[in-house]
Amino acid sequence: MGVERSMPLDLLSKTIENKVPEAKINETDHSKTGCFLEVVVPVAKITDTAEAMYDELYYLEAITGLDFTDGFQVLYHFNKFETRDRVVVRLMVGKGEKVPTISCIYSAALWHEREVHDFFGIEFEGSPDMRPLLMPEDVDFHPLLKDFGKVNAYHRMDEIYGDDK
Amino acid sequence: MATTNSEPVLTKEYFLNLGPQHPSTHGVLRVLLKLDGEYIVEADPIIGYGHRGHEKMAENRTYKQFMPNPSRVDYLSGFLYNHGYVLAVEKLMGLEVPERAKYIRVICSELNRISSHLLWFGTFLMDLGAFTPFLYCFDDREVILDLLDYITGSRLTYCYCRIGGVAKDIDDQFIEGTLNFIKRLRSRWTDYHNLVTKNVIFIHRVKDIGIIDKNIALKYGVTGPNLRGCGVPYDVRKAEPYEIYEEVDFEIPVGEKGDIWDRYMVRLNEMEQSCRIIEQAIKKLPRGPVKASGVPVKIEPPKGEVYFPFESARGEAAFFIVSDGTEYPYRIRIRVPSFSNLQALTEVLPGTLVADTIAILGSIDIVVPEIDR
Repeated sequence: MGVERSMPLDLLSKTIENKVPEAKINETDHSKTGCFLEVVVPVAKITDTAEAMYDELYYLEAITGLDFTDGFQVLYHFNKFETRDRVVVRLMVGKGEKVPTISCIYSAALWHEREVHDFFGIEFEGSPDMRPLLMPEDVDFHPLLKDFGKVNAYHRMDEIYGDDK
Repeated sequence: MATTNSEPVLTKEYFLNLGPQHPSTHGVLRVLLKLDGEYIVEADPIIGYGHRGHEKMAENRTYKQFMPNPSRVDYLSGFLYNHGYVLAVEKLMGLEVPERAKYIRVICSELNRISSHLLWFGTFLMDLGAFTPFLYCFDDREVILDLLDYITGSRLTYCYCRIGGVAKDIDDQFIEGTLNFIKRLRSRWTDYHNLVTKNVIFIHRVKDIGIIDKNIALKYGVTGPNLRGCGVPYDVRKAEPYEIYEEVDFEIPVGEKGDIWDRYMVRLNEMEQSCRIIEQAIKKLPRGPVKASGVPVKIEPPKGEVYFPFESARGEAAFFIVSDGTEYPYRIRIRVPSFSNLQALTEVLPGTLVADTIAILGSIDIVVPEIDR
């Protein structure tokens, strides 16, 4: 079923480009991935990107962590209430690298970041609250890391996404 | 001992644990309340007591072995999650489902949505101290559970959808039972409205209390009836129509202010809209197979990722699946609406009374195991 994007593409792209000139913006096929736009930004620029999204009245759907042998990915899914317009912001995070928090812009991010920290051990810099959320207070492991427990596969990023990212 | 009016009496702030075991928290939820007398200064929901690790389980199971899990994420709208999961996998595989299967899935989904709203109706009013409506709506809900039990084989944690269709066809007995149920439910609206909606005690407890406005919704990602209560007509069934929602005619009920009253009315009206969808779906129900032919035994979607949103009874839920081309998913992330809805309470609760906390908590319709996953 074809779902049309109801907002002109360049409007958001321009707002993001103004704030974050380094951003790589690609159109994606909504009928395959569920997103209209994919934005890859450097880790340090996520706060500026989130500001641009907030200015354009997007809400934060979820923050997702992904573990690969050569680093993490942190995905921010944004959408709009008025129009169908899902955008995914993708961060390539090195192992041990810290990610700036966006909870100062989106209050929703606080719990999502705590969850990602629980599951992957990724630190969010500047977050006011990094207590474990879903895990008990005293755990010393991160269950969704691919080297924890029984693991079926542990890939490099390019093995799933190809070489372009 | 007389105090002058010019000097306010200072009270000491103290902490109160609401939960983890409290009948009004609907599961194992703890809310740490900082109180100033009867007023709430700060509310900190503490979750995770029901964490089962569905997302880790997914990585160690094949796509088919994971089938029973989604309905256990949110056991009150289990069918909707079961439905959403197979839709996500089908989208990843590019699989076309027979028309009849789509209709059957939607009929069952909407029945489940009504049962979830009925349960909310009962427990919410019980939180407010009214026990009778609970008995009425559980009586109605029982009919749905029996109907779904008859067709799916389970009362709550359904696993009826299959990748490529549904497990088995529905029969005339189910259709007749469903139509009779809709007739019965419609005759009940008057009772419900007389018992509850026009009750002056109820009105005083819900009007202008616990307001979630558009601004809070945007900041916290609030969706579902909680968002529609403040007048934003956002519903995934309309915004990104899946299955047959584009072919049936239904409205999105919205409120005005976003107080408890609006959320209450939105849910009641939504049940009627679900009835309309079911009626139209039964009328249009095509003949044909209920399972796609040529679905491989080993489900191995091509490499890539998909974000598939669907409207659960509580708001926008989604499955985000990353596939590495094998029969084991590389990662499944479940976006649950209650997670965001509950978080908004940290902003809504401060300034309200303890007694209203229970009403507000009940009105946002959370299912705690869904949040904990």
